[in-house]
Amino acid sequence: MKTVIRTENLFKYYYIGRPEEVHALNDINVEISENQSIVIHGPSGCGKTTLLSLISTIDRPTEGRVYLYDQDVSGFSDVELSRIRRKTMGFIFQNFNLLLRLSAWENVAFPLVPMGISEKERYKRGCDLLTRLGLEKRIHHTPEEMSGGEQQRVAIARALVNDPDIIIADEPTSNIDAESVQKLLNILGALDKEGKTIIVSSHDPIFNDYGDVTFHLVNGHLAHVSKKE
Amino acid sequence: MVLCLVAILLPFITAIAISEGVKFQASISVEQGADIYVTLDNYGSNAPIPLEFIERFRRLEGVVRVVPRIVGRTYFANRLSAIVGVLPENLPPGLNFIEGRVFGKRGEVIIGKALSEEFDLRRGMMFSLSQNPYITFRVVGIFEPGTTTVWSSDMILMSFKDASDFFLMEGKATDILIYTRPGYATKLAEKIQVDWAVNENSIDPPLRVQDKNLVKRYFLRGYNYKAGVFTALYTVAFALAIPSILVTSGFGLTERRREIGVLKATGWQTQEVLEMVALENLVISLTGAPLAILLSIVWLKVFNGAFIAQFFIAELGLFTRFPVPARFLPLSALLSFFFAVVLTMVGSLYSTWKTAIIPPAEAMR
Repeated sequence: MKTVIRTENLFKYYYIGRPEEVHALNDINVEISENQSIVIHGPSGCGKTTLLSLISTIDRPTEGRVYLYDQDVSGFSDVELSRIRRKTMGFIFQNFNLLLRLSAWENVAFPLVPMGISEKERYKRGCDLLTRLGLEKRIHHTPEEMSGGEQQRVAIARALVNDPDIIIADEPTSNIDAESVQKLLNILGALDKEGKTIIVSSHDPIFNDYGDVTFHLVNGHLAHVSKKE
Repeated sequence: MVLCLVAILLPFITAIAISEGVKFQASISVEQGADIYVTLDNYGSNAPIPLEFIERFRRLEGVVRVVPRIVGRTYFANRLSAIVGVLPENLPPGLNFIEGRVFGKRGEVIIGKALSEEFDLRRGMMFSLSQNPYITFRVVGIFEPGTTTVWSSDMILMSFKDASDFFLMEGKATDILIYTRPGYATKLAEKIQVDWAVNENSIDPPLRVQDKNLVKRYFLRGYNYKAGVFTALYTVAFALAIPSILVTSGFGLTERRREIGVLKATGWQTQEVLEMVALENLVISLTGAPLAILLSIVWLKVFNGAFIAQFFIAELGLFTRFPVPARFLPLSALLSFFFAVVLTMVGSLYSTWKTAIIPPAEAMR
């Protein structure tokens, strides 16, 4: 299988040179192949979100390299990284990160704005995705008018709107109820069947049996990798 | 953000409008006035001129009419008022009476509407002024200020003789107004100035001769200076306003930083984020500037330009009885649009750019 993401001796430090310096990731080497479902597992504060940020190019490593489709993107410019994210990535944030001023369909469709897609087409795509995720009655609602589970589904719809190959979800079950968790698992399962590469970070045991590969992180180190037979 | 912009622009637009209004009235006042104004020259300042000059000026070629005048200022209670003493036949022809008639007998005066309303002075009432309390005046008429509200609203018009007695100026006028035939004004002004100045054997004191254009220039220069001082003060306030726009536009605000981070994380490029913010700001400016102009009109109509008008019109109380003159010129509108755009663009583009160039994860953190 084709390698989609590979990291090489990845380090990420925060507050460098200050007394409170944090070594969030230390010498991380992982490899993710096309169509795989990946779980990054570990307790809170072990560096899961940091690793996701680095492999999704929304943050830069302190040391080491990130390869996307065998291309070293560590030294890419801001413009090039934005272009990569636009074409290949869909990110579901832990706290959803919806824009509070926008309605559900606008939140879903705003990544399409810089692509020059007309408002009519954006609206259509936004509505289609929201309907697919069971939010047809929430199309014109703002995030504040929706439950946590609904907000998360809007965030999922936004992650899918540009039809990316890689879906990244950071602690997707941490802010939703049990019913929404089941819906989420169904959605991820469906995306898996569509052939998407899915990377999920979680400390929730519900993901123990999920995914083809699990990376176990402990204190910023990759403790071990388990693969489903 | 729109409200912040309006709060910054409103005083500026109002001040420009008042400044233009006052200058316009000054121009009208000068245009309607005499062609030449003559006083004595007391080391560069105006000094009262003896009435003997009237006959000398009358004999000059091109002179149509020579009018002596006494103009002074005095306090009516706590209000600074202008007193003008002229012969009844020399009163402005278009003087619009609300009630009463022109003064005739000694001690009779006509007063401006604002003065009448403020002190409830009606026709037939008597008053005296603290500067010379031995003279008593009786109101025989009340007039509308017309097109020059600034100067005539608080005015007391009386006979030349009464003004002369009041200001203790026996045999003198504060200035002599000369009306000329068309085309004679400049030449006559030069002639009067030269004839009286060059003659070494002359025992006459030096004269100060100002033609209409010169008076107009003095007026406008004075108000341009005031407008300039106001603009300078405002520039400082404007500079201080930029940080407040920075704050309201999101610099340092978590929510705005997060929004920009989300845009970048979902594939927007820095330039695209900046374009969106620029467009947003253009809309804000296009909304804020007309709103500021509209509120400025309301401020002038309802509050009579309170707090700003005092800067341009001397001795003006907070609430005046006469409408403060104001003019909205296309240039003022353009300026307000320009300032609105500059304020919002400088304020928010910089903060957006600073946030957009950091990794999205950091912006969202």
